[in-house]
Amino acid sequence: MTISANDILDLISTEVPIERSHLDPAATLESLNIASLDMISVMFALEDKYSLVIEQEDVKDAKTLQGFVDIVIAKAKAADV
Amino acid sequence: MVRTSVKQVAITGMGAVSGLGQGVQATWDAAIAGKSGIRPMSRLFQNDPRYPYEGIAAYVEALDTKPVEARFGPRALAHLDPVSVFSVVASVEAMEQAGLIGHPALSDRTVILYGVGSGGNTTIEEAYHRLFDKKAPTVHPLTVPKYMASAAPSQLSIMFGVRGLTYTIASACSSSAHAISEGMHMIRAGRADVAIVGGAEATITYGGWLAWKAVRAMSSTACRPFSIGRDGMVLGEGAATLVLEDWDHAQARGATILGEVAGSGASSDAFHITQPQGDGAVSAMRAALADAGVELQTPVLVSAHGTGTELNDKTETAALREVYGVGMDRNLVIATKSQHGHLFGGAGAIEFILGVLAIQRRIAPPVLNYLGPDPECDVPLALGEARAIDFEVLVSNSFAFGGLNSVLVARRV
Repeated sequence: MTISANDILDLISTEVPIERSHLDPAATLESLNIASLDMISVMFALEDKYSLVIEQEDVKDAKTLQGFVDIVIAKAKAADV
Repeated sequence: MVRTSVKQVAITGMGAVSGLGQGVQATWDAAIAGKSGIRPMSRLFQNDPRYPYEGIAAYVEALDTKPVEARFGPRALAHLDPVSVFSVVASVEAMEQAGLIGHPALSDRTVILYGVGSGGNTTIEEAYHRLFDKKAPTVHPLTVPKYMASAAPSQLSIMFGVRGLTYTIASACSSSAHAISEGMHMIRAGRADVAIVGGAEATITYGGWLAWKAVRAMSSTACRPFSIGRDGMVLGEGAATLVLEDWDHAQARGATILGEVAGSGASSDAFHITQPQGDGAVSAMRAALADAGVELQTPVLVSAHGTGTELNDKTETAALREVYGVGMDRNLVIATKSQHGHLFGGAGAIEFILGVLAIQRRIAPPVLNYLGPDPECDVPLALGEARAIDFEVLVSNSFAFGGLNSVLVARRV
């Protein structure tokens, strides 16, 4: 299933919840102040919606929102193969 | 009166939420007005017509979470099962009243003992629905921290910054009465200055409902404690919390003392997993009265376990008569499950709170839905409208599945 950056940002906006306009892709995950339990729910919602498996290991190096989005899109592409 | 304990245990905060109302004052107002939170319910699990459940229940709706969110942030309740949400809502009310939120006493010298009969039913049912119905390969990663039996007191510890002993006490319908008793003992023993105690339950779920229905103890008409024609219990949900405090500690910080937990007694029937046996109830009541130093000649207000089942009410009557004999006629029995339903893990605590308020405010909430006397339930009941009373002592009974009995005694201050 194809998945766009917008899809991921929309989902984060709903799950956290956080204003969509606050989700600047260049922002660091730290600066967005998303609670760890909310981030766990985001990852689960992504897995559920797009039939992915995202390990903590996969996203541990993501520093920015864009970095996180790129990793998820890459996982989705890999899953399609 | 002969006191058996050195330390006195004060109640300095109370909180409650149930189908009868949110907040202790609203709950009390509804109780003495003779209102009941028991009403028709018709639900679909997951909005799926394959999974209907309906009947009468005292369910919580339109829960006001603003007081919690104002204190602890808008996401304070976001990842909690309803059983923990109820626990937090009731406990924040109790802790606000005690004036203990953010207080230095909430250190190693405060404990949390919380009664939960089952755990996070909503969470576990959602997880199983995913696995067995939707055939999903995974469940939500917060499933375990939400459904574990100790989730509610864990959340309270984190929220209030309590660093002392914290755990769940599970003894079905006696859970929160046991929790209050153990909190009292911790303070008496000098092992804590403050004990946050009480209990909660949230089992009006699809699976929870059908499991209770299968016990064949649920009424489809009304909860009629000690009445002829009674035909079972009615399920409730919610939570009730008390802040117990070493008397001197409470006085030293200028806290308002709302009542005294004067004693407790417990026993096990060692008989049957669902049927009560009177001997255990008798020994628990005698032990509680002795622990509190209350003589049998002292008239007491009895907050009965009073489930409205055929067996409980006649067994409880026989036990009360065995303890008090003809002297039982000096006492008065209230049975508030007819108003808030059966809160299971939270039952003992909400009934104890209403009983404490009754002796403090000298008003007995009425036993509802009475159809007439049953010769096997010959106890003086607070029938009709709320009435003026004058009892110094409350005896609050909890007799659980498994034959686990817990009796609390409170004294008016």
